[in-house]
Amino acid sequence: MQTHPVLALDGVTLQAGTGNKTIELLRDISFTVERGRTLGLVGESGAGKSMIGRLISGLLPPSFQVAAGRLLFDGADLTGQSAAARRALLGRRIAFVPQEPLSALNPVLSIGRQFAEHLARLGVPDRQRQDRAAEWLAAVHLPEPRAMLRRYPHELSGGQCQRVLIAMAFSSEPSLIVADEPTTALDVITQARIMQLLKEQQALHGAAVVLITHDLHLAAQVCDEVGVMYAGDMVERGPASAVLRAPFHPYTRSLRNSVPALDGPRRILPALPDQMPGVMALAGLGGCRFAPRCPSRDTACAGALPPWHEVGPAHRVRCADACLGADFPPAADVPDGLIRLPSEAPAVLELCDVSLHYAGRRGLFGRPAATIAAVHEVSLTVGPGEFVGLVGESGSGKSSVARLVMGLERPTSGRLLLEGHDPLTADQPLLRALREHVQIVFQDPQSALNPRRNVFSLVTQALEVSGHRVDRPERRRQARRLIEETGLPADCLPRVPSQLSGGQKQRVNIARALCVTPRLLVADEIVSGLDVSVQAQILNLLLRLGRELGISLLFISHDLAVVRYLCSRVAVMYRGRIVETGDTEEVFANPRHAYTRSLLEAVPSNRPPVDLAG
Amino acid sequence: MSGWQSALRAGKVQVGLGLLIILLLVALLAPVLAPHDPREQDILNTLTPPAWDAEGSAEYPMGTDSLGRCILSQVIYGSRTALTVAFAAATGSMLLGCLLALVAGYLGGKTDWLVTRMVDLWMSFPPVVLSLLLMVGLGTGVRNVVLAIVLVDWTRFCRVVRSDVIVTRRRDYVTAARLLGFSHLRTIIREILPAAAPLMITMFSLEMGIAVIVEATLSFVGLSVGADVPAWGVMIADGRGYVHQAPWAMIAPMIAIFAAILAFNLLGDGLRSALDPRLRTSRI
Repeated sequence: MQTHPVLALDGVTLQAGTGNKTIELLRDISFTVERGRTLGLVGESGAGKSMIGRLISGLLPPSFQVAAGRLLFDGADLTGQSAAARRALLGRRIAFVPQEPLSALNPVLSIGRQFAEHLARLGVPDRQRQDRAAEWLAAVHLPEPRAMLRRYPHELSGGQCQRVLIAMAFSSEPSLIVADEPTTALDVITQARIMQLLKEQQALHGAAVVLITHDLHLAAQVCDEVGVMYAGDMVERGPASAVLRAPFHPYTRSLRNSVPALDGPRRILPALPDQMPGVMALAGLGGCRFAPRCPSRDTACAGALPPWHEVGPAHRVRCADACLGADFPPAADVPDGLIRLPSEAPAVLELCDVSLHYAGRRGLFGRPAATIAAVHEVSLTVGPGEFVGLVGESGSGKSSVARLVMGLERPTSGRLLLEGHDPLTADQPLLRALREHVQIVFQDPQSALNPRRNVFSLVTQALEVSGHRVDRPERRRQARRLIEETGLPADCLPRVPSQLSGGQKQRVNIARALCVTPRLLVADEIVSGLDVSVQAQILNLLLRLGRELGISLLFISHDLAVVRYLCSRVAVMYRGRIVETGDTEEVFANPRHAYTRSLLEAVPSNRPPVDLAG
Repeated sequence: MSGWQSALRAGKVQVGLGLLIILLLVALLAPVLAPHDPREQDILNTLTPPAWDAEGSAEYPMGTDSLGRCILSQVIYGSRTALTVAFAAATGSMLLGCLLALVAGYLGGKTDWLVTRMVDLWMSFPPVVLSLLLMVGLGTGVRNVVLAIVLVDWTRFCRVVRSDVIVTRRRDYVTAARLLGFSHLRTIIREILPAAAPLMITMFSLEMGIAVIVEATLSFVGLSVGADVPAWGVMIADGRGYVHQAPWAMIAPMIAIFAAILAFNLLGDGLRSALDPRLRTSRI
């Protein structure tokens, strides 16, 4: 008997009708996943990779329909099956590992209850359910599985919740597991452990895995094969190592090159212009949908969907012929002038043994609970024009440092100096000047921009403050200067934030902070919510601003590679303390603290850092 | 703004607004529309049925009450009382409630605690009993009715708007405004108030409907406007004794109250779903 691949998509085209036009959300997608193999679907948000996950699970809205092609699961076409038949497969033969482990579990039911419900559906007799659940939790290396069954989701960490979900997914011995960004919500060290667990369970049970991720390096590390998605097309497909080592499609190349490396020379990131078209814009895009952003496009690209080209063993690229030979010019190194040595001028920011302790909530009878040290004896200096990185995982106290610097919290002890002055003792006019010289760029551009103001009003918001007030033409002039400096399109002034893309919002956010020409910018995780190609644009913008305006930057991030790209000095935070500080290259090359080492080792991009030949 | 435009296109808002405009015109043009002075008594024609009845006369289109006053004229003039009270009381409770809500939600801490406890305490009184007590203490008259309703209903605004202010307060853009050097007052006016405005307007519309009910309730028990001012509640109370001989003396003001409250509630409900981004359905 002929053996089937577990999952095979054969020229699937997915359409959605909106009003009078139909949009092809997925075009001619083909791939197969064999038993025990892992396929990575890689792409930025909106590329259609989650759409494939929902297509496999049959969770698409009724207005979406498969216009062409077949979706074969174990040799049987799923597209024609009834909803009931599809549902019967889910959770039994096809299992899911979701993106947000905390929200995927019901917060009011214990882990044991939820696991038992799942086992009941699989037909496990009542008496055996608790034992079986405990066995499965033990299999995913959760400590004290019996006790774990009695706990509720909020008592578990994100990584533990994801382990529970992985245990549930594997408990039905499925043939196929679809993992949709299973580690995006987790920090790097937990991510590495979860990925290892996923591989281990897969090897044990021989399931096929479809891993949906935005991280090309992660996919290359854990997958056998990867497919790169762009705007509903699969543009490149092949063995994971080949795609990472020698990507052919211009988009795959830029996806790989947009991520700063953890070692090797620091090169200017080649940022693509613009961004991926949104769903509504897809209707007008025939031919190669990447062409408008492609550095090597020609007339052939606009025609039909380009054909597949075989460029290596099982390595295929969907691109017009012209692109295949074209080479990117090697990226320039980050200019040396950028890394400024601390000069004689007073430091823009100086923290001396600064602590921030929160008193725990007082009980009913006034007994104070234990104090929580969000920041403990932190010392840090940012010189004029210097870019300093502050690294650590969530909850390490990085954002508390930002709040201290901004004056949103008062240090419990220690000294904080802005340009050599203590803001706590400064008189009113000096304090105002000091505060103005330090501006913050917030993490979440959605929350940081008033949805009722337009871009013009947002970027020049600082001019509404008394002492800065200017007349209307001057304000317009300032607004135009700011959007030009931050690379926003000239026609965006009357738009409101909901009409901007994520990257544009973050630019507006930066422009607003630049309005009163600060000396120090505090950037709290400002690129963590952005896609890599947009991230590269914002990073390059910060580099340019530092060079042209001479501002200093305190860059707070969990992403080590990004910090290495931007900052000449780095401080590593762990549980409220700075455990290591020094020149970025020095710290990353020879990490002294065990925590820094584990952080560096957990980053997937640290593995095969192969340079593109040519 | 697209929110307001979509609000005006919503069916509920259109019907509610239409009814409200009719009511307003009736109140404004009362001297022109009413066939009689509402207080004029015609002792010879008491309890006459409406004009369409065989025994009715064209002089009194809706008949007369036990004192021979024209019911239609009373209903028309009664709309003046109802709308005056509705607008004034809703404005007053919105101003008082929202002011306290903004202060409490923005400042937080002890201020917030104090205001919230005050609202809790206030709301633990049954509203009808509280307003009756206030009316007994303040005496009758339109101004005192308005005052009584404001003093009872400000809590409704305060509680709902406060929670909205707290949500907005936590947004980074409010912190950003403070860090740019905005004063507290400017931050509240420029950043927080615009976010709470749709909710305030929606509640204002609903509150007008509530004020009409409260005014009718109070005048029903004779604790509202003076005896010489036409009010729908007073008409119902007067008509109650003759409900078997002349039911229309009660039915006419009831229909008026019904129409007014329907208008305010439709408008409020329509505005709520049109202006609340959480309830707005996406277009795709």
